[in-house]
Amino acid sequence: MINLGIISNVLGVLLTIVGVMMLAPLSCTFIYDTPDKTPFIFSTITTISVGLLSWFYKFKNTERIGKRDGYLVVSLGWVAMCLFGSMPFILSGQFNTPADAIFEGVSGLTATGATILDDIEKMPEDILLWRSVLQWLGGMGMIVLTVAIFPLLGIGGVELFVNESPGPASDKIHPRIREVAKRLWFIYVGMTLLVIILLKLAGMTIFDSINHAFTTMATGGYSTKNASIGHYNSPLIEYIIIVFMFLSGMNFTLIYFGLKGNFKKIIKSDEFKFYARNVLLLTLFLSTFLFFNSHYESYEKAFRVSLFNLISIITTTGYATADYTVWSPFITFIFLGLCFMGGCGGSTTGGIKQIRLLVVFKNAILEFKRILHPRAMIRVKIDGNVVAGKTLINILLFVSIFWTIFMFSTGFMVWVLEDTKTPLLTAAGAVAASISNVGPGIGEVGPVNTYSGIPSVGKYFLSFLMLLGRLELFTVLIVFTPFFWTRN
Amino acid sequence: MNIVLAGAGEIGLNLAKSLAHQNHNISIIDNDRDHLDIIASNEDVLTVHGDASSIEVLKNANINKADIFLAITSMEQTNLLSAIIAKRLGAKRTFARVSNPEFLSEGQQVNFTGLGVDKIFSPRILAVKEIGRLLQRVAFSDVFEFEGGKIYSVGFKVDKTSVINNKSLIEIAQRVCDFPLRVLTVLRDDETIIPSGNFILNEGDHIYLSVLSKDLKKVNRLVGKKLKKIKKIMIVGGTALALSTAKKMEQYYKVTLIINSQAKARSAIDDLDSTLVIVGDPSEIELLKGEGIEGMDAFIALTSKSETNIISSLLAEELGVFKTIALVDNTAYIRLSQHIGIDTFINKKDIAADYIYQFVRQGKVQAISSMHGTEAEIIEYEVQENNKMTKAPIKNLDISNQFIIAGVIRAGEANIPDGNFQIITGDKIIIMVHKKQIPFVEGLFS
Repeated sequence: MINLGIISNVLGVLLTIVGVMMLAPLSCTFIYDTPDKTPFIFSTITTISVGLLSWFYKFKNTERIGKRDGYLVVSLGWVAMCLFGSMPFILSGQFNTPADAIFEGVSGLTATGATILDDIEKMPEDILLWRSVLQWLGGMGMIVLTVAIFPLLGIGGVELFVNESPGPASDKIHPRIREVAKRLWFIYVGMTLLVIILLKLAGMTIFDSINHAFTTMATGGYSTKNASIGHYNSPLIEYIIIVFMFLSGMNFTLIYFGLKGNFKKIIKSDEFKFYARNVLLLTLFLSTFLFFNSHYESYEKAFRVSLFNLISIITTTGYATADYTVWSPFITFIFLGLCFMGGCGGSTTGGIKQIRLLVVFKNAILEFKRILHPRAMIRVKIDGNVVAGKTLINILLFVSIFWTIFMFSTGFMVWVLEDTKTPLLTAAGAVAASISNVGPGIGEVGPVNTYSGIPSVGKYFLSFLMLLGRLELFTVLIVFTPFFWTRN
Repeated sequence: MNIVLAGAGEIGLNLAKSLAHQNHNISIIDNDRDHLDIIASNEDVLTVHGDASSIEVLKNANINKADIFLAITSMEQTNLLSAIIAKRLGAKRTFARVSNPEFLSEGQQVNFTGLGVDKIFSPRILAVKEIGRLLQRVAFSDVFEFEGGKIYSVGFKVDKTSVINNKSLIEIAQRVCDFPLRVLTVLRDDETIIPSGNFILNEGDHIYLSVLSKDLKKVNRLVGKKLKKIKKIMIVGGTALALSTAKKMEQYYKVTLIINSQAKARSAIDDLDSTLVIVGDPSEIELLKGEGIEGMDAFIALTSKSETNIISSLLAEELGVFKTIALVDNTAYIRLSQHIGIDTFINKKDIAADYIYQFVRQGKVQAISSMHGTEAEIIEYEVQENNKMTKAPIKNLDISNQFIIAGVIRAGEANIPDGNFQIITGDKIIIMVHKKQIPFVEGLFS
């Protein structure tokens, strides 16, 4: 039933990639001459060997991968990459418990950006770079998942992400998935290089600019500084990162069309308009609020701080230039709500995503129209195309499952955190920030705090939520259903 | 002229008949043999049985001698293909009926003329345009534009409240109106009258007049009916025409579309944007009321059945809808319904025929319009050198009982000429002519 050969083959390839990526921090180990060189030497060798062995176990794979194997491979692949990715952290001795190291690894690869490190700046350069590389790799993985894997597995209305509309104007970039993925990767790598150059020119060290470029494009949010981007106190750096966080929150297919000069496609995209409008309106509201409540003297500062932190949360990046939890309880609540939002479908962001919210929102409005006109045929349309009934149900189900998981998980985390000062707030914030892959939440896991105070069981649980959110819930959940394991 | 027609459907038959009456040599191709036999026994035309896109069949229809080839079957592909082949086989000019609106949209990049199709047209899109014009000028039952809207010819029914009721044409011209206007024809009890100056208008007369576009608003006042600006319209029917109309009109109005079939409604939604699509039977009065027919400014019946359209339009009028338009393809019904109160009709056959006539008529015809229910047509000609018309002022020309000059376009300026007007070479002249006088007019202008 389950084809172990295929799984071993795919996992082998994935682990080999992780191993090869480890060469980056490994070279760092020698360039910066860090005190302890063994963790990365050992991890690289182990990961590559395990990867290659697993790959060669079934090197020539002629069988087609089934749908069932698909779900399992994606889930297991992500778990395996997280575990091997955490290996340098475990071996480095900088992390107190295995739970800490695994939490950091999962948070990295899922591009969440939640950290347990209280003093990041104390860490050796190779560890810092590996955190960023993990996020960048996770972002790349997301692109493959969106264009190639999710549409095949058919979950949560993801067909809308890749604009596989049945209408006359099919929006596929290229008829072959492999070619689509290549073009999107090219954009991803190209934009990363651009950010590195811009940040360097704006005054960051080359090491910092590489790290921040990696985590910006992946909408991950790991920083090399304790105060995150706030450390630099530079409007220029903040604006550069604002722009690229916003771009990373767009559908990469749209960016591709934009690069080809087809701006009409971007302007006409319902999802993009919704996304841009949300960002704009929230920023205007927050900046006005901050300015008139005298949190900042100049409106520009209030505007910049609002824009930066809002985009950071909406795109589930998780950088911070200010502690949004101290302004007012109301604003804190808004930030908690925004954790769920996410960027556009087909981006590296997490969360529910703009397209799903747009569909749910439109459908809710239309439902009232349906009540008034019982015999009318009223359908939700996105970009002028009717959203199929199946897709609509899928999306509604996704959103309700998302909320249900949030409720139950928060309950569990409140129980885990019972002895802390604000268990309810912290639990809600931690769960929302994990399942949406944001990173910093509210309460004791806000932007100026870390996850170090959470008990080990909580860390494992939050790591699981990050994976669940990253793989769009259904991919992981389906593995836990009884039908998955019964023969047809 | 030698004319080959492919497709003996309603539009084709209509055209073949009237063209044969005007002494053109018509060959008509169709693949329904029985149908052709009936035509052959009634009309003086050559019938050819077979597929219009077959080379052999086209040759049998003497395509090499054809001045005009008209492909108007219901199949777009056949029309385009046969027009291309006909051109290669020697037809001088080719016309193809298409149904895909893309082909006619502005800025489309396929050059059909280069392929051998001189002109493509779609009766459906022509009809949508006409409905649009009627909704813009709600006071009138017919609206014809000439020279891109410089001069209009409009038709309406004389109401008892109208200021022109019980007035003679001279009185109207001298006292009622302070702007140039020409009454072209009056339809009274099925009779088409070309009126003289002493003719007195009665309530119930359907009159057609020509007017400059800048004075069009003033004509509204003559109509008498209280005017209303159209905001909400209801369209019934699941025909392609209904869908195209809804798609066009939803850009300007709030549209409710009622479709009988679930499947058609579903495919309609794909194309339409803001239109509210209701599934239900358009003759069900409770449904119409439930969807607020009483609050509608216009009701357009475009189902495939003329009877349903007439009945539902009457119903809408009864419920107080300001403007009703019905698609009626049966000419006999049009006269009948004019008596019972429906004033505005759409007839795809006439619209298509008018469009085609302007290419078939002899002389330099610029445009042509036939007026519903009347025996008259409006034709626009370009006046050639040494034409009889240029010899003297209009009042001295011996044309008075043959036709009426509705307007003259000179160097882009529109005029409603009086008796002293002198026509010169190069003028474009719009005339209203009784069908019987068409051969005379053609002789005059060719």
